[in-house]
Amino acid sequence: MGCCFSSDSETSQQNEEVKPLIPDPNLNKIPTNGSDRNADSLLSSRTDEQALLTTILQRTALNIIDVSAVDSQGMEQHEYMDRARQYSTKLEVLSRTLSQKKPVPLPSLSSQPHQVLAADLVSNADVQQVSKIAAYAYSAISQIKVDAKEELVVQFAIP
Amino acid sequence: MTTALTQGLERIPDQTGYLVISEEGVLASAGELENDEHTAGVIMQMVRTACRFRLHGTAEPPFKRMSVMFEDYVYAVTISGQKVFVVKRQNNQREPVIV
Repeated sequence: MGCCFSSDSETSQQNEEVKPLIPDPNLNKIPTNGSDRNADSLLSSRTDEQALLTTILQRTALNIIDVSAVDSQGMEQHEYMDRARQYSTKLEVLSRTLSQKKPVPLPSLSSQPHQVLAADLVSNADVQQVSKIAAYAYSAISQIKVDAKEELVVQFAIP
Repeated sequence: MTTALTQGLERIPDQTGYLVISEEGVLASAGELENDEHTAGVIMQMVRTACRFRLHGTAEPPFKRMSVMFEDYVYAVTISGQKVFVVKRQNNQREPVIV
């Protein structure tokens, strides 16, 4: 609602305002022949930073799919053979169940085949109309295309 | 048995040949389609494909007869009792073409 100002606490307030956000590394400089306190704090902060960077890097590596990387992490020979065997057994099981499927029987379209076949043929007008519609459909389908707005593969780089 | 099947086909007006085909093969053939196993094979494939069409999720194929139309002749095809009947008929319709 307002700023309460008291001249009594001026100096302390001023100090708060001008207090640097990052502590001045030179402030607590102690000669090295003394204790290693300063070096330790500096080193630990650096390792913390390093750890943080490493975690960020790991997380990014997990989430990014590098399409340019051709040689994926190599598998050992025995692991490769194991997997190949696993997949071929799975395929065998599947192909067995597929071959057991019966072919679809022919449906019955009519009980009077001779009558149906002897009926009037499709008129030329109908044939032309259907041909025109099919031509329109073909033309429409042939105009479907991909509107590429961006590159599909990009270089992951820090500018 | 074949005469019962083929008698009706013989009497179809302006027919120039016919085929009766089952899953196993050609049961009967005559006229321009006599012994024409190649045409039989092609028409079987066409009619099997056409039978897979459905209109709005109905259970049966939406047609009674399939016509393969050429300029001067037509193959009319239908299915009855697990057999495919094909008749080749002349296409004599000569209407003026509206361009």
